[in-house]
Amino acid sequence: MSKSKVLVTTIISAVVGLFFLFCLGWTIFDHYGKKTSDMRSTEATPIKKDLANDFTVVALGDSLTRGTGDESGKGYVGLVLEDLENEYNHKPIIHNLGINGQVSEELVQQVKQKEVRRQIKAADVILLTIGGNDLFQKGQTLIDYDSQVISESQKKYMENLNDIFKNINQVNDKATIFLLGLYNPFIELDDDLDTNRIVRDWNNDTAEVVAHYKNAIFVPTFDLFQLSVNDYLYTDNFHPNKKGYRLIADRVAPLIKWEDEKR
Amino acid sequence: MNNLIQNEMMKLLAKKRLVIIGVIVGILVLMFTYAQYKQAEEQQEKLGTTDWRAALQQQIIDTQNRLSSNRMLDEWREQLEVGLKQQQYYLDHDINPSEPGAATFTRMFLENAIDLFIPLLIMIVASDLVSSENSQGTIKLLLTRPVKRWKILMSKYVTLLLSVSIIVAMTALLSYLLSGLVFGYQGWAAPVITGFGLNGADVDVSQVRLVEQWKFLLMDLGLVWLVAVVIGTLSFMLSVLVRSTPAGMGIMLAALISGAILNNMVSSWESAKYFFMVNLKLTTYISGSAPPIEGMTLLSSVITLLVWWLLALIVSFAAFTRKDVY
Repeated sequence: MSKSKVLVTTIISAVVGLFFLFCLGWTIFDHYGKKTSDMRSTEATPIKKDLANDFTVVALGDSLTRGTGDESGKGYVGLVLEDLENEYNHKPIIHNLGINGQVSEELVQQVKQKEVRRQIKAADVILLTIGGNDLFQKGQTLIDYDSQVISESQKKYMENLNDIFKNINQVNDKATIFLLGLYNPFIELDDDLDTNRIVRDWNNDTAEVVAHYKNAIFVPTFDLFQLSVNDYLYTDNFHPNKKGYRLIADRVAPLIKWEDEKR
Repeated sequence: MNNLIQNEMMKLLAKKRLVIIGVIVGILVLMFTYAQYKQAEEQQEKLGTTDWRAALQQQIIDTQNRLSSNRMLDEWREQLEVGLKQQQYYLDHDINPSEPGAATFTRMFLENAIDLFIPLLIMIVASDLVSSENSQGTIKLLLTRPVKRWKILMSKYVTLLLSVSIIVAMTALLSYLLSGLVFGYQGWAAPVITGFGLNGADVDVSQVRLVEQWKFLLMDLGLVWLVAVVIGTLSFMLSVLVRSTPAGMGIMLAALISGAILNNMVSSWESAKYFFMVNLKLTTYISGSAPPIEGMTLLSSVITLLVWWLLALIVSFAAFTRKDVY
């Protein structure tokens, strides 16, 4: 070990150490010296469509969109996407923005977010499940049944739904919107079929709203679960299981047309 | 004094410890680089797009879904909520929180290494500075020289400070150079947001401002260096007090690991904030994540660490100058 090598190492490390000490002091002063600078708010650049046949699906809504209850985590959105991929031999882009327990009011807020709007703008197909939490409120609706409360939340829901469609159409009126209807998870618990009537009412009104938008399609799911609901529900007796999601996906996937969009 | 330091430096370099540390850092950086590369690749595969905004939006949605499950500890919920609001803020202002490049990787690496990995590296050097002289019997040779005892210890301590600086610089340099092979060497000017004010789960954005990444990186380095010096001094104290090097290392290791565990569960144990090991994650204050215990601030953590540092230094010198050597 030569003396000069040791000396050089010593000097270098001493300089580095002093520099770090300086950085430390600067950090503390910087942290506590309150300087406010204006945050520049830059415009989001639109998503570049690099491939002509890049097909974009945006899925919005609640736990059904998320895929809760499906052990493989795909949910109907994942299954629909697989079907599309198999049929067209090409993988679509997917933005799954579903949030467990989301109600229509929260979705109205979500579709107003900048980044969500940007993704909606790039979408060719929008898949939507919403309303289940508005109506069932985690099963509360069934326990203390009150037609007054239900009709109120139904009214509010229809307004929100209109809001959601308007917001989507504002940025993108070319994409097809598929809104899934509600099924009745409580069909077997309910002898006088009160809940059936409520869900049917709800679905009818929803279909009415959807009919006002020419790029929107109402996809019923009520009938899918009507006969053997327990075979298709997850252990929480509320969300679909893998089979249930398969049923929904089989209904939605054939409706999607993947043409070469020239937009 | 100068000669003493030179002498200690020569011992240090002859031991080749720094080379070993360099190799360890190099291997780890390569591993993390590969892991991050794979992760980015998989995410891209999943989303079908390279757009970072889509990826960030997906992360936000995932966090929201985790928050919606009701069986979650309150403190985790709080931390997730804080993270969520920050991510949303980044997204709303069209700033990529993890701009690809070696500069970002280095920043992330330092921020994750500050509370355990860097201290471990420092321990490799610090924990046997004095005790090895004991076990090899060379302490007698050293003390029979006509130099005051405190000067001998001082020369050792200065050597420690120097090697701590080298280790921190080496870690940063290696992670930049090696990760750059994959991510490219850019990212110095990328904007980073600092100044999030935290109050429980509320995020105050009134003081928020943009900092260029190179500045942020230097701030991180300053904080990492402080942590390294404090841990080095504590290990140094143990190597004076405890005759056997493994025992000293064991004590320090136990403290560090308990700190890592405590960080996740101390939020209700208020007085734990006076432990040095709970205060090691200094970088979170400038990046704006929630501290382990409510009410902890950058200044309080720095002061706590400095108090520990000073005590360790006093104990080391007091013990060494009075110790009987036989």
